Amino acid sequence: MTLLEVEDLNVFYGDLQAIFGLAFSVAERESVALVGANGAGKTTFLRALVGLIDGKQGRVRFDGRDIQDTPAEHIARLGLGMVPEGRMLFDTLSVEENLLMGQVSRRSGAWTLPRVFDLFPALEERRNHLPRQLSGGQQQMVAIGRALMCNPRLLLCDEISLGLAPVMVEQIYGAFKNIRKEGTALVLVEQDVKRAAGATDRIYCLLKGRVSLTANAGDVSVTELTQAYFGM
Amino acid sequence: MAWIETLVNGALLGGLYGLLGIGLALVFGVMRLVNIAHGEFMVLAAYLAVILVGLFPQVHPLFVLIPVVIAAFGVGYLYQAVIMNRVARAPDPLAPLLLTFGVSIVLRNLMVEVFGADVRGLQLGELSRASIRLFGLSIGVMPLLTLVAAVLLFLLLQWALKRTSFGRIVRATADRRDIVRLFGVKPDLVYNYVMGLSLALGAIGGVLLAVRSSFTPFSGVERLLIAFEVVVLGGIGSFWGALLGGIVLGMAQLAGLKWDANAGLLYAHLLFFVMLLIRPAGLVASRA
Repeated sequence: MTLLEVEDLNVFYGDLQAIFGLAFSVAERESVALVGANGAGKTTFLRALVGLIDGKQGRVRFDGRDIQDTPAEHIARLGLGMVPEGRMLFDTLSVEENLLMGQVSRRSGAWTLPRVFDLFPALEERRNHLPRQLSGGQQQMVAIGRALMCNPRLLLCDEISLGLAPVMVEQIYGAFKNIRKEGTALVLVEQDVKRAAGATDRIYCLLKGRVSLTANAGDVSVTELTQAYFGM
Repeated sequence: MAWIETLVNGALLGGLYGLLGIGLALVFGVMRLVNIAHGEFMVLAAYLAVILVGLFPQVHPLFVLIPVVIAAFGVGYLYQAVIMNRVARAPDPLAPLLLTFGVSIVLRNLMVEVFGADVRGLQLGELSRASIRLFGLSIGVMPLLTLVAAVLLFLLLQWALKRTSFGRIVRATADRRDIVRLFGVKPDLVYNYVMGLSLALGAIGGVLLAVRSSFTPFSGVERLLIAFEVVVLGGIGSFWGALLGGIVLGMAQLAGLKWDANAGLLYAHLLFFVMLLIRPAGLVASRA
């Protein structure tokens, strides 16, 4: 069953159009990679989905409900979660308080504070630390844990491996296996195409605000992908 | 001995000044908004107290604080919801500042229209004059109660912000007003509550100051000036700094008055000016 369905989505920043007639869908429990060069519109697309950008036209259905005009704070309560680009932690809140912010949406489910600490044990030791006292990877774990605490049905992850040490990226991608076990659907925005394809079922490639390729992650060839990625 | 007494009384007055500043500091800390109308709202609370005392002469004037504080919270909530949230997202920080300035002028003139320009005060009878002797010093009971109340309110606010889920949401909204929406928080609603809380704290300060000195519809500016100096002197964003700033200001004022009876607030302002030159970040430098 389709969990998220986007038809003919156009997104604008003032007079500037960033997304052109985009079609996109995610099935329940599915994991989808969204790749593309810098400026292709990946982050804009995700921010528009969760309601953080107002200038959008088109149709967005989530869990059988039209959400294109729904404000972000209501979309969160429907079960569409996001790990924003650059982590965007609450700087003056401790690790534990950051995680507890996920509970404000009052969605019940498998993810609780002890479960998040099971998933990322490094965070339990540092629960009273401030985000700036953590390594980049640990900060990313807080951002993911915070989003999980909302018990989302679909989790959008924006550039979670950006700027992290390879061993950290390994750890975080390992955690996604556990997250998917709970039935959470995923959208992973990635620069690293190979890693994205390895962790997901299906792949979308964006080029200048349009979908340039969509394929099953297993079948896609490097030439096809390169062409879709760079547009040549 | 007389000088020590003056300084102690200044410190007690400072507790009250801290209360004037704390509401302003709260709104600035959470929304990055300087509420120029804060002083007028304090005077409005004092007028409400005077009216209530007139209507219910059998009730002790201090109990009037309860309905006044509740009303101030409601006024603050509506002020933010109806007026301020319209410009809270404006990219230009001048827009909200000018709006609060406009509101302060409108309020001031409304108060002249409704209450007249006469000087008013709030009489507490015996309690205003009562004093106790401590270590050979004569200490006013009312100033002492005011300082105790200020410290308790500071502790309460600190606890509410650090330990409750409401406080956590307020701090998170102050950090990132966009991102809290991803967790179901509506920033405008948080702002409404914070403005309500700010004006409720301001109302306590406004009423207690009306006990100490008389006021007119034009007194808001003086109160705002003190609140400003308290916040800046203490270090912007530091609550305990605001209390400390208030105490330093109160001491400077009373010491100045003792030395030169016509000085008024001159020496408090001079001290503020000197501190601004030598320690612009405030007494308690903010962590950020």
